[in-house]
Amino acid sequence: MSKETPVGERKGAKLAKRLHVPKFALNVILGLVAVFWLVPTISLLVISLRPESLFGQSGWWKVFTAPSQLTFHNYATIFSQGFATGGVLDSLVTSLEITIPVTILVALISSLAAYSLVFGFWRGRDMIFLVIVGLMVVPLQVALIPVVQFYRELGNLFGLNPYGTIPGVIIFHVAFGLPFGIFLMRNFLSGIPKDLLEAGRIEGAGEWKIFYRIVLPLALPAIASLAIFQFIWVWNDLLVALVFLGGNVHTPLTIFLYDQTRSLAANYWIVSTGAVVSIFVPLVVFFSFQRYFVRGVLAGAVK
Amino acid sequence: MSSVSLKELTKQYAGNGALSLDSVSLDVAHGEFICLVGPSGCGKTTALRMIAGLESVTSGEIEIGDRVVNDLAPRDRDIALVFQSYALYPHMTVFDNMSFGLKLRKVPKDEIKVAVTDAARILDLEQYLDRKPAQLSGGQRQRVALGRAIVRNPAAFLMDEPLSNLDAKLRVQTRAEIARLHHRLGATMIYVTHDQVEAMTMADRIAVINLGKLEQVGSPRELYDRPANQFVAGFIGSPSMNFVPMHVDSVDGGIRLVSGEGDLDITLDDNEMDMIRRAGVSDVVLGVRPEHIDHRERTGLGLQLRASVDVIEFLGNDEHVHLSSGSHELVAIVDARTPLTIGDSLTLSASSDAIHLFHPESGEALK
Repeated sequence: MSKETPVGERKGAKLAKRLHVPKFALNVILGLVAVFWLVPTISLLVISLRPESLFGQSGWWKVFTAPSQLTFHNYATIFSQGFATGGVLDSLVTSLEITIPVTILVALISSLAAYSLVFGFWRGRDMIFLVIVGLMVVPLQVALIPVVQFYRELGNLFGLNPYGTIPGVIIFHVAFGLPFGIFLMRNFLSGIPKDLLEAGRIEGAGEWKIFYRIVLPLALPAIASLAIFQFIWVWNDLLVALVFLGGNVHTPLTIFLYDQTRSLAANYWIVSTGAVVSIFVPLVVFFSFQRYFVRGVLAGAVK
Repeated sequence: MSSVSLKELTKQYAGNGALSLDSVSLDVAHGEFICLVGPSGCGKTTALRMIAGLESVTSGEIEIGDRVVNDLAPRDRDIALVFQSYALYPHMTVFDNMSFGLKLRKVPKDEIKVAVTDAARILDLEQYLDRKPAQLSGGQRQRVALGRAIVRNPAAFLMDEPLSNLDAKLRVQTRAEIARLHHRLGATMIYVTHDQVEAMTMADRIAVINLGKLEQVGSPRELYDRPANQFVAGFIGSPSMNFVPMHVDSVDGGIRLVSGEGDLDITLDDNEMDMIRRAGVSDVVLGVRPEHIDHRERTGLGLQLRASVDVIEFLGNDEHVHLSSGSHELVAIVDARTPLTIGDSLTLSASSDAIHLFHPESGEALK
């Protein structure tokens, strides 16, 4: 078991063999594809590191012949406002205020719901699951207006109108994140052998203990992928924030960047610099959750 | 440790007419090792899972110690179950796997440590306590599963085919280990298996279950020597007992058995004739174990048959010889040094006390 070759390597060698090309040639080709894929991101980074005045004069690739152009001036400028309302850091915080609760709530509720759907003892579990799967095809924009009205009704009835507030955006995102979350978690949890839960039950664990001591640790890879998906979707969302945060002075990064492009003279230096800032956070999330993508976490459970 | 007793235990799954377990009553004494054995799907695992509390009881009662546990949750029944799949927690080390139940019961840490170390020593797992299940061999995982049961010192051990995932050699070795463990702990053990050899070698008593019904309970020797019916007779012993339908023929005060075809000749003793008379049957099923068939002619009481050799299975010390006599097919175990070839015609015999007689319809052994 310990002598296993990494799957990637084995597949690479196989692919090279099948295509009748040497392995290094395959690597070169794949490397080129990767670079090609990265060009927009690299150019964005370079633009953000060049003085604003050069933007209209020459292409970003000129930097390769004149590296002295590079400067952190743009970053210094946009960060100089600190956390003042309307600044990039304020938007960064707002984005985090929306995205983190949504990610945690979706992961938590999806796991609990999936646990009940897979291991619960109630009738109609499969039916409910089918309905949830069906909900995945409902496009988000269908619900925008009804939910705005629903929020207003809540305001009329209880004096609690979530419209225009960050919780209002969070609730909408959670509701639309759940069908996929439950789908993903349910399919993953149904791969966990029932014997493990029964063993726990006999040894004295109640449902809650079984959930967080046995099922949750085994579901970490699925939770990690769900969290990454969810985080990136919400992080990149513009539409929901635009509709539901109307009038709020704190806006997420997507709205911040959008605001910079629509004025007659677009502030490309702010857009590029802000965009790099907005890429940075998902990258951190991705790399910190990545270690949970362990293949074969269930190995050794049964047999 | 305590006794376990089942009273008319019945299980019917929803939407399924047939009973998975049909009124099974069984008393397991304190410290006894009992095997539930039967073909797959016979209800033996269902019975075990009902004792563990993983399946609901349709009717009947389960007592552990002197408590009726029908409505108790699995964790309150004070039993340990060793799963066929072992069901080890893959994300926990061997130590954590074995101590999980104790931790849940809030046993003090130092006591847990002592209990786990003791169990690990008994099972020879001491150097593996820090490993995860994936880093262990099948046999080691199996021992961890046993260890997880031992540390809790439960009222009864339940085992669901714990050896079926091991290779043949390890199975024989672990079989002996479990038997040794039973002596050492003096624990009440209920062991489910479909393998009659496992049951015969380990159990104090065996309960044979077929189609949800308890066929016979008894010591391995009782089941082998005096099977209650044709099913038990065929299930216990390997290769299976030979069965030949015979017709009862009365001749001048005595009884002869005649087979429709084939060349079988049986001389019954008085006891056997009495059994047939008491049963008042005109047909009877004759049973004789392969190992009781002699590759020799004999005179006097017993069975004599002529048959031709179809297949010879060489096993080293002896051979299983598949024979046919008319339309009847029989197996005999003969010494491997006997010079035999396929197609040979032989005369074989069995002594009178090797003969079993069964009722042709009910399959019950004649008494």
